[in-house]
Amino acid sequence: MKGYLGKVLLIDLSKGTWDSQDIPETVYEGLLSGVGLGAYYLYRHIPVGADPLGPDNILGFTSGLLTGTGSFMTGRWMAVCKSPLTGGWGDSNCGGTLAPAIKQCGYDAIFFRGISPESVYVYVDNKGPQIRDAAAYWGMDAVEAEKALIRDHLKAEGGSKKKPEVAVIGPGGEKLSRIAGISNDLGRYAARSGVGAVMGSKRLKALVLAGTRAVRPSDPEGMKRLSGVFASTVRKANLPGLFTGAVFPIMGGLMGGLPSAVPLDGMLSAMMFKKFGSIMNNTYGMTNGDSPVKNWDGSVKDFPAYRALNPDRIRRREVRKYHCYACILGCGGVCDIRDLSGGNGEHTHKPEYETCMAFGGLVLNKDLDSIFRINDTLNRAGLDTISVGGTVAFAVECFENGILTPADTGGLELRWGNARAIEALVEKICAREGIGDLLADGAKLAAERIGKGSERFAVHAGGQELPMHDPRVDPMMGVTYSADPTPGRHTTSGNLYYSQSSLWDYVSWAPKVRIHPKSQDFEPTETEALRNVAMTAFKMLVDGTGSCYYAMLMGVQHFPIFEYLNAATGWNRTPDEYMEAGKRIQTLRQAFNAKHGVDVRAFRMHDRASGIPPASEGHNRGVTLRIDEMIRQYRRAWGWDVETGLPTRETFESLGLSALPGLEYTHG
Amino acid sequence: MAKQYPNYDYVPCMACGICVQACPFSCLELRRTGLDTYRKAYPDLARREDCTGCGICASSCPVDAIRMGE
Ligand code: SF4
Ligand code: SF4
Ligand code: SF4
Repeated sequence: MKGYLGKVLLIDLSKGTWDSQDIPETVYEGLLSGVGLGAYYLYRHIPVGADPLGPDNILGFTSGLLTGTGSFMTGRWMAVCKSPLTGGWGDSNCGGTLAPAIKQCGYDAIFFRGISPESVYVYVDNKGPQIRDAAAYWGMDAVEAEKALIRDHLKAEGGSKKKPEVAVIGPGGEKLSRIAGISNDLGRYAARSGVGAVMGSKRLKALVLAGTRAVRPSDPEGMKRLSGVFASTVRKANLPGLFTGAVFPIMGGLMGGLPSAVPLDGMLSAMMFKKFGSIMNNTYGMTNGDSPVKNWDGSVKDFPAYRALNPDRIRRREVRKYHCYACILGCGGVCDIRDLSGGNGEHTHKPEYETCMAFGGLVLNKDLDSIFRINDTLNRAGLDTISVGGTVAFAVECFENGILTPADTGGLELRWGNARAIEALVEKICAREGIGDLLADGAKLAAERIGKGSERFAVHAGGQELPMHDPRVDPMMGVTYSADPTPGRHTTSGNLYYSQSSLWDYVSWAPKVRIHPKSQDFEPTETEALRNVAMTAFKMLVDGTGSCYYAMLMGVQHFPIFEYLNAATGWNRTPDEYMEAGKRIQTLRQAFNAKHGVDVRAFRMHDRASGIPPASEGHNRGVTLRIDEMIRQYRRAWGWDVETGLPTRETFESLGLSALPGLEYTHG
Repeated sequence: MAKQYPNYDYVPCMACGICVQACPFSCLELRRTGLDTYRKAYPDLARREDCTGCGICASSCPVDAIRMGE
């Protein structure tokens, strides 16, 4: 076995039928598994013009090529579909426990098409899939529904002895909120691209997996050697005990103040993630200009109370660490919220940096307890915390400017920093009640519904709310926000990621980074664009293998992804050859947009994130990115049309995409 | 020969959970804390009565932290 199964499952929910399909070897060789396999399947099988919330859309759950092979930090799965949020290619990545379970059922991916007449869930074990009535679970929140499904399957007569792994939507997905995600392992999320709305539109409450098949790499001994070395590096990577959360503001101020940045070894950030998780950035990002404040229109000066989000205060509630399957770092945490939840649950996943900032600095809220509650509320409702945060910030700014009034908000005083009103608004969005109904599909649609010039406050890229990283600090990320097939996403590429990747020591054409300039001196050059291509192609390998982005940030000198791939597949390829697969996946994702006639020029991010007009205060004052020039350079570097942003036929063919079975260059 | 059960060596163990998900009978659980300053949750044989002694968990561990024994 080469780490993959060579088979996918297609379930047609309209007809109630299923089909196990073989995938040709050349597809794995060309596109790996995970997002690559997903892009291949959806490009071929979603018809042009398909409504993202209609029966023709396909929702896929894909595992990574390296998942379950004895490699570490490769246990992530991806949901793929046509996105109801952007209208184009949609994908969303999640950790938890689902990825190996997909393979243990004997498939690399499970796809759904059609719409079930009644609410259902799908159970799969070694004997195959069954479509079952979900009436008992529909309406339950995502956390309780998962607990109930596990309990009911373990106790069922003749049921599996294996605890099933579950992907499930909450009421947000059921109510077709376009900012809904899919939950796994009690609140880990495939949150972005509106994947939860697609699942809801199919009336599919959950996917319940209880297979026990083995997955094997081609070279188990080689795999073990690689994992042994990787584990011992991570085991030794520890911050000194004295390194507390209080250090971050000082560090952020110092680093942010330097005229340029030198690349750091990725293991340094791994140490911080190991101790704190993503919340290490809560106060660090505030002082180095990374964290957006006041709906992207302010700076840390508007939020002097930012230390309330000190990661130590959050860790005080952490009762134990949380690891996704196969993770040796463990950035997650399980937190005790008994005193906050009003009897609604004891534990919750530690809020991520993105959530803390979306409901902290972005709305000037210093009430950490409210952030814990909002995080849990949204995890249960099944909504994306980034998109809800961006939408709430939009609503607050509308209120502050008189575009929304208490008559519109049901009496809520939506002022900056009004934690109570913000919490109440989140509840309304979850329930689609009153103004919550208007906001439940994200800021872009809300602005269209409200009118009155409110679109200037809707900070998004192509319909997706921006994540909590300011491109004025990391211009490459701004290009990715604006020009990637899934716009408005922070996990794909950026200057910082690339500088920690060490790719240039492995990939012949990847340009080295010695020092990178701060944004005000940043030039949109061909070399910069090529770095972005390298980083993005690498991220596609990460997403094709099921790897974690925190493993990616350690750099390839520590996270042996190329060696792992060879040990799993026996292909014995060079990094350059693997990077071609990464390029292919990225171009195929954008070709999906081309096929579906998506105008990707509309993906350009909101002007505030480019510093148009420039800020007058704070770390990013005076910075304006030459974003349009950077986007053009980026497209050119990919071999995409510089004006339309879509892949050319030549690029599609020269990457070998048309040589893959059933792939044809189509321009919608 | 008496039935063999998994015995953990928590020094090399990374708390990655691979063994937990490999067990076909869900006998293992990530529930042992107090072994390090991070409060990581390490695996443990939680349902001994369901364990068949198959050794799948031990062979799934990438760092050989499990020995089958009494
Ligand atoms: S580093 Fe964090 S997100 Fe990544 S696999 Fe580990 S626990 Fe999951
Ligand atoms: S697979 Fe090995 S390293 Fe991972 S939790 Fe089990 S015993 Fe520990
Ligand atoms: S020996 Fe077999 S049944 Fe027992 S814990 Fe290990 S995998 Fe499970």
